[in-house]
Amino acid sequence: MYEKEKDLIDAFRRGQMSRRSLIRGLAALGVSAGTAGVLVNMVSTQAMAADFDWKKHAGTGVKLLLNKHPYTDAMIANLENFKSLTGMEVSYDVFPEDVYFDKVTAALSSRSSEYDAFMTGAYMTWTYGPAGWIPDLNEWIQDSGKTSPTYNWEDMLEGVRKSCAWNGRPGGELGSPDAKQWCVPWGYEQNNLAYNEGMLKQIGASVPTNMSELIEVAAKATKEIDGVYGIGVRGSRSWATIHPGFLSAYANFNEKDLNVAADGKLSAAMNTAGSKAFHADWVRMIQESGAADWSSHTWYQVGTDLGAGKSAMIFDADILGYFMNGGGNAMAGKLAYAPFAANPAASAPTPNIWIWSLSMSNFSTKKDAAWYFIQWASGPEHGLFGATQMDFVNPVRESVWADAGFRERLDKSYPGYVAMHDLSAPGASIKFTAQPLFFDLTTEWASSLQKMVAKELPVDEGLDQLADSVNRQLKDAGLG
Amino acid sequence: MDHMSLTEKWLRGIALTLVVLFFMFPIFWIVLMSLQTNETILRSPPSMVFEPTLKNYVAIITGKLDSHVASMDIAFMRNLWNSILLSVCSVAVALLLGVPAAYAFARHKFRGSEDIAFTLLSFRFAPPLLVLLPLTIYFQDIGLANTYFGLIWVYQLICLPLILWIVRGYFEDISPDLENAYRIAGHSWLSTFRRIALPLAGPGIAAAGLLAFIFAWNNFIFALVLASADKQPVTVGALAFVTASGIQYGQIAAAVVLSIAPTLALALYAQRYLVEGLSLGAVKG
Amino acid sequence: MATLSDISVPRRRFAVSRRALPYLLSLPALLVCIAILVPFFTAVYYSLQRFRLSQPWNRGMNWGENYVNFLSDPDFWNTLQISLTYAFLTVGLELLLGLGIALLLRRRSRINNFISIMLLMPLMTAPALAALMWKLMTNPNFGILSYFASLVGLPDFRWGSSPDTALLTVVLVDIWVYTPFMMILLLAGLRSLPTQPFEAAALDGVPRFQQFWRITLPMLSPYILTACLFRLLDSIQQFDIIYALTQGGPGDTLMVFQVEAYLNFFQSTNVGRSAALLMILWVVTYFLSYFFIKSWLRLRERARGEA
Repeated sequence: MYEKEKDLIDAFRRGQMSRRSLIRGLAALGVSAGTAGVLVNMVSTQAMAADFDWKKHAGTGVKLLLNKHPYTDAMIANLENFKSLTGMEVSYDVFPEDVYFDKVTAALSSRSSEYDAFMTGAYMTWTYGPAGWIPDLNEWIQDSGKTSPTYNWEDMLEGVRKSCAWNGRPGGELGSPDAKQWCVPWGYEQNNLAYNEGMLKQIGASVPTNMSELIEVAAKATKEIDGVYGIGVRGSRSWATIHPGFLSAYANFNEKDLNVAADGKLSAAMNTAGSKAFHADWVRMIQESGAADWSSHTWYQVGTDLGAGKSAMIFDADILGYFMNGGGNAMAGKLAYAPFAANPAASAPTPNIWIWSLSMSNFSTKKDAAWYFIQWASGPEHGLFGATQMDFVNPVRESVWADAGFRERLDKSYPGYVAMHDLSAPGASIKFTAQPLFFDLTTEWASSLQKMVAKELPVDEGLDQLADSVNRQLKDAGLG
Repeated sequence: MDHMSLTEKWLRGIALTLVVLFFMFPIFWIVLMSLQTNETILRSPPSMVFEPTLKNYVAIITGKLDSHVASMDIAFMRNLWNSILLSVCSVAVALLLGVPAAYAFARHKFRGSEDIAFTLLSFRFAPPLLVLLPLTIYFQDIGLANTYFGLIWVYQLICLPLILWIVRGYFEDISPDLENAYRIAGHSWLSTFRRIALPLAGPGIAAAGLLAFIFAWNNFIFALVLASADKQPVTVGALAFVTASGIQYGQIAAAVVLSIAPTLALALYAQRYLVEGLSLGAVKG
Repeated sequence: MATLSDISVPRRRFAVSRRALPYLLSLPALLVCIAILVPFFTAVYYSLQRFRLSQPWNRGMNWGENYVNFLSDPDFWNTLQISLTYAFLTVGLELLLGLGIALLLRRRSRINNFISIMLLMPLMTAPALAALMWKLMTNPNFGILSYFASLVGLPDFRWGSSPDTALLTVVLVDIWVYTPFMMILLLAGLRSLPTQPFEAAALDGVPRFQQFWRITLPMLSPYILTACLFRLLDSIQQFDIIYALTQGGPGDTLMVFQVEAYLNFFQSTNVGRSAALLMILWVVTYFLSYFFIKSWLRLRERARGEA
């Protein structure tokens, strides 16, 4: 089966054929793009097997805990290749995102040996790491007996890679030399603008380039287009409301969440004058041109509204704008992207990033085998497969971003996406202070924001109260 | 009180219509929604005119969800099966354990019987999370985590007190004379229980079982915390239609309809027992 | 069904002592539940600790400090207040509505029976799913309720998304799900009332309105009490509806006990505080039910004394 196809692909591997003519050749043989991708990957996978003992854990089964996500879909589509490469068995549980992290906490806190590896975000490892639930992955990454020479760890985007490493000291700098690699990046999101080109044209506005322009254009769109609101941002009572657009813009004004004193003590930094001014702008923007049910908006609603033509712009994860520009969405093909630096004085955007990463459970009894899965799933071959054949954006590897086929595909259907990524990637990293109270404090921040938007509290007073509460909690936990 | 003026009749009629509208409308609307595509749902203003489609149901039942990003598998039918399995087994176990105990409390006033009965009922007062959180750790230690057996056991927390309390009321209502006469005729306790007491309390037991079934079916948090994805009931499964590639409103609606349909059907089929169960048993205690 | 002439049944082979029998019968049920007491006591133990999963080195007994901290913690008082408000608001409104509907359906007729069966349908809907349904209905883009609100001149009515109306929205969902429960209990009560007192009152020419206050309500009170007890226990522990609808927001508007405890455990991994919160909830529930059961027993005694 697929003999002719394999010959074609081998020719491609030997460098006799460009990627495009390969795909075209395969198409001529009646192979769909998705299948072609799997085949290409199969051959690259076979090539991988040459330099490294991938069969070491043949027969071992690992179990994964996964979130329902396009990354997961892309991985599952390619999973057969991993199985044939290693001879390992892989089973998995997929949970909806609404309950996913609660599920992870339940599994890890009960020291369950059920799952060997799981999806996580970097913030979560600030709890899991100190709790002793996940190991430092450097132990595997740096061991050439356990990691294939083609893995190329340095190929991972530096800001992303470092954002997943923390020394465990509250307030400790991410990616410091003594940092532990709690998770390896898998796919990531920058926060920038995605907008409806037609709508901006209709109101005669150009793409906003700073906070005050954003407020202005959003208000204009809300006023002039019937049944549309200007700007989609998240608003639910959750830490997730703070980390996308909000924190990216906040950081662009050089504001911080917490101060770290010389003696390592933490204290609130949300009630500076600059922060108050920024909060006031943000709150006004939502009041004037946000969604009517903003306070229940998670990223799903933010995205769905943009895709359905109910909002003119979103300031959220870039990949959200990416997904809304495809398939059955009413606005598919009508969206465009722009990097966004909120601060007029800033030279470039400073997006806070969300990194879907892979971690290993400390309670796993098959850690080495689990690492085989993690290194394959985060390796360059699967990254390229996912990025070119599936919706595995944004890739975390330089080599994938450098791939001409990938850039071409993006440029064709997602105008401005590549340029946006390239421009904001240098400033992209996690802007939060790493510390174990992350979820308490950030959720409370979101709750304060809700109160300010609902005009239950003036911004200044709300921030002072928030800072008091944050300081009290930090003291209680022995961090402040 | 049989004489009603015409105005009163009208007023009653209007009031009842409003009541029926309020309680039935959401179900009606969700059914309508489940027959639409995302496109027609998202129209504004909402409209009753649309071309009905069974696409959402087909997607759920065949397990292939064609979102615009990728087609992915959904395990909703598996969720449905889990719900059935968990609810039926939990109720069966609860009946097996609860009915004899209820009989004991009703017929034999033994030392501490009231205390024990109250203790059992009081499990109904405990906030579920209070028990659930430590239980995650114990389940891990004793190997019950992620097993149907473990889940069914925890479901007893909802089912057992309910059955005990209702069925006990029924047994108390049945005069013991008949049973005594049968015993005097030389029959064993067991056969008296089986041949006299059980059949007499039959409707009450059916009612209690039904109620317990409904509470078990509607539970959300137990399986979520204690079990892996392949053992989740529909109440958790219905969340899965929110995906990164947009919210599938029509499919959510269809999933909701499919998950409430079994309890609705059961309730309609057995409404006689249900009404009795909700009233008599619960009230007379 | 067996009859007394059924004598050919084999005689018992071994006798169970009559005194041991009831214990034997209730033992399995008791054992199953007692095992659940173990995690309960574990939770008590956790609640007396400084215990955060993310800081295992800090763990240790702090003997009630979690509880003492509540005294000066505005979030806790907010939670207590919201939980009680929610519970009494829902139970009160459901009682009024349920009683009203039960009175409307009191007479046995085919149409009334049909309606009462139809009204049971919301009760069959899982609260988590009911919340999902209402979330869809109140969606500002296509939700039918938002549309209705805009028709009656409230285009900006924000349902669960505004702190002013969030409580109203969740209470509405609770009412939708649970009023039928109240209704059916009270209907059964109404229909089982003896008819003589009413006939006598009618003969004496007592107006119907007074009949209701003087006869119906007092005779119905044990039913009302039971119905309220059952509802109150569920309502003060509400989780599904609120969590599914707003996760306790906007702001801290709907941070009831179980939602707060859930977030404390799963998001903040602050096990000590979470357990202490749940213990307080348990105590509150216990006292409420104790009070209700006491008055119920008293009412029942009185009813039996009169009978």
